[in-house]
Amino acid sequence: MNWKKLLKIAGVVSLALVITIIPLLSAGCAAESKVKVGFSICYTGVAAEKGRPMGNAKLDCMKYINEELGGVAGYQIEVIWRDNQYDASKAAIIINELMDKGCLFFTTNSSAMMTASAEIANRAEFPGFAVFSAPALTNPPQHIYAQMPDYGDDWAAFSKYYLENIWQGEGRPKMALHLLNNSTGYGARDAALVLADELGIDIVAIEEHTATTISEIESLTRINALNPDILYISSTPQPTSIIIKDAVDLGMYPGITIGLGHASITSQLIEFAGADVVEGVYGVYPTVNWGDDVPAMAKMTEYCQEYHPDDYGNMDYITSWAEGLIVAEILRLAVENVGIDNLTPQAVEEYGFKKLDNFDVGGLHGPVTYTPGDNRLSKSVRVFQILDGEITPVTGWVEAPLIPYEFD
Amino acid sequence: MDLPAGTRNYTYAQDMAIFRTKTHWAMLLALLVILFTAPLYWGNYWLSVANLIGITIIAATGLNILTGYCGQLSIGHAGFIAVGAYTSAVLTNRLELPFLVGLIAAGVFAGLIGLIFGIPSVRVKGFYLAISTIAAQFIIIWVISHWESVTRGFLGISVPPASIGGITFVSQGSQFYLIMIIVILTVFFAKNLARTRVGRAFIAIRDNDLAAEVMGINLFRYKLLAFFIGCFLAGIAGSLLAHWIGFMSAENFTLMDSILYIGMIIIGGLGTTTGPIFGVIFIRMLQQGIMFIAPSLENTFALPAGFTTGIGPMVFGLAIILFLILEPRGLAHRWQLFKASYRLWPFSY
Repeated sequence: MNWKKLLKIAGVVSLALVITIIPLLSAGCAAESKVKVGFSICYTGVAAEKGRPMGNAKLDCMKYINEELGGVAGYQIEVIWRDNQYDASKAAIIINELMDKGCLFFTTNSSAMMTASAEIANRAEFPGFAVFSAPALTNPPQHIYAQMPDYGDDWAAFSKYYLENIWQGEGRPKMALHLLNNSTGYGARDAALVLADELGIDIVAIEEHTATTISEIESLTRINALNPDILYISSTPQPTSIIIKDAVDLGMYPGITIGLGHASITSQLIEFAGADVVEGVYGVYPTVNWGDDVPAMAKMTEYCQEYHPDDYGNMDYITSWAEGLIVAEILRLAVENVGIDNLTPQAVEEYGFKKLDNFDVGGLHGPVTYTPGDNRLSKSVRVFQILDGEITPVTGWVEAPLIPYEFD
Repeated sequence: MDLPAGTRNYTYAQDMAIFRTKTHWAMLLALLVILFTAPLYWGNYWLSVANLIGITIIAATGLNILTGYCGQLSIGHAGFIAVGAYTSAVLTNRLELPFLVGLIAAGVFAGLIGLIFGIPSVRVKGFYLAISTIAAQFIIIWVISHWESVTRGFLGISVPPASIGGITFVSQGSQFYLIMIIVILTVFFAKNLARTRVGRAFIAIRDNDLAAEVMGINLFRYKLLAFFIGCFLAGIAGSLLAHWIGFMSAENFTLMDSILYIGMIIIGGLGTTTGPIFGVIFIRMLQQGIMFIAPSLENTFALPAGFTTGIGPMVFGLAIILFLILEPRGLAHRWQLFKASYRLWPFSY
């Protein structure tokens, strides 16, 4: 037998094995008396620095709920998760797959991936929620919900905190916005456009950057010429670290106040920029910090250290552990209200999502409540400051009232 | 065209026919029956995969005409798709024009933008042209992101479902029919284009532009025509993509997508009609396979969550390297070899 023939046979056998193993593998996952939920996770791609710890956390949390708590209302949760690679067309396919596979609802990590899924989900009345969201996703409210306040709410909360606790000057403080060139960045700008005048803040500059930026010296030089009192950054950790380092190099910081939206302020920011560079930087985040004395902290820490020790200290892990607890609560409410046999996505939305009332996610973030007309499930944030390399809370929970956006 | 042993062409019409034998017609009929009954037995998931494949085939066919036939390398194809997507989105959402107007306008506008970015092709080629088309990618996306009064910038723009003559294409099944009909028209157009004077001029320019010019081919005209056709099809694909996803954001069109399109036509086979079809199906199915198998592997072998997510990038990189080394003429060439061997079977010669 020559090599060519051998290779051909090996190829055919491999193909046959792959074709055989796929249904076997999926069959191994299937079981009765389970409630299905879908996760569209950006595990790889440009947002993986956030997607990976978040994906790890929610899958760890599902493991905890199924194995230690026996599932929800006596039923195991079957998770169908897919890596959307932060790609809109993949997210659109995933949402169809999740509907096809009988998931009762779905979640995404990012506002961008929810944006790519939202229209298909809304048309099919298939509910879902995004962990991090932009104002446009829930305005007007349809079938998509936001786990936490959005990037616009961060801006509003930080601005109020600044005016009440930091601003010592006369007149109106001058703020420069440095925004990631997507909904993460521009969500903050939308709120600034609506509220800055009312709060008494002058927006003197709006600069943008990409997720892969390597220098922002040029944009910061333009900002510096305008003498702002505040630099507000709504971005992700990597570009935020570049901006702050460049601000230090230009002598802008320390000297002005730097505030960050919740996608920027994680332990990775400190790792990327260095603790001395980001010392004193403020940020808004909707969860507690690692080590805080809240009921859910011990179990979450145990799972994180056992299964994903690298994620310990990353606040995104906390966010998505809380996401897992909310997923379970929605399912529990729906099962108890309509029974396992009557569960449909519409029933879950009506008797799960819309019945959420002051649900406590083990203290990890503010209470979760559905309010008609406001699809943000949790409505409070906290202001943090980086002190001695630690992300330290400087406020308790701050309510984030619904901002009256008027999107055309 | 290769014909089965014993088949002869006696007229010019027979020689030019795409489907020459009864077997060809029977296979075409079978393919169409399978294709158009697919929504009856495929679920939403497979239909959405097929819809994405269909849209990608239209875009890749455009790129294949530009790069595969005419030899003008474009690394800004996702930008031209974005032009089509946003044209259709703006016309149907903000101006409330019918879908068909949006679809055709998307193609024409993307084609015109392609003409502008194609002008450098008269003076530069190869690597330098590639760089100028990358510029197109960045400029287009920047304009879309910042022309907020029209495109709504980073907020994104929602797109109503496609609708023709009172029929609204909301479900994946109905969109499947719409997309597949346009795919068939596109492939038929591309097949015929390659056999016309224009197609032959494209190939002449690709093979040796100096010799083509000496033969009397107007390089400026034909290169721009290739850009127009390639970008027109990108625009049509963009329009369909917009109505399929239902929401457009400039983030949906990245440089990586443009590179992926190049990868698809390389894997499929440059300068062949079937190449983009094979390349697109191969890449998109590979993506689905990896997306499907990764969580199953983790569940079955109790791997830590996320352990298998590195498989995707590795497999794509490996596939492109292997094709470039082992089969640079792509899957279309393999298909030709298979057909030739099938026709002669059981004889070796």
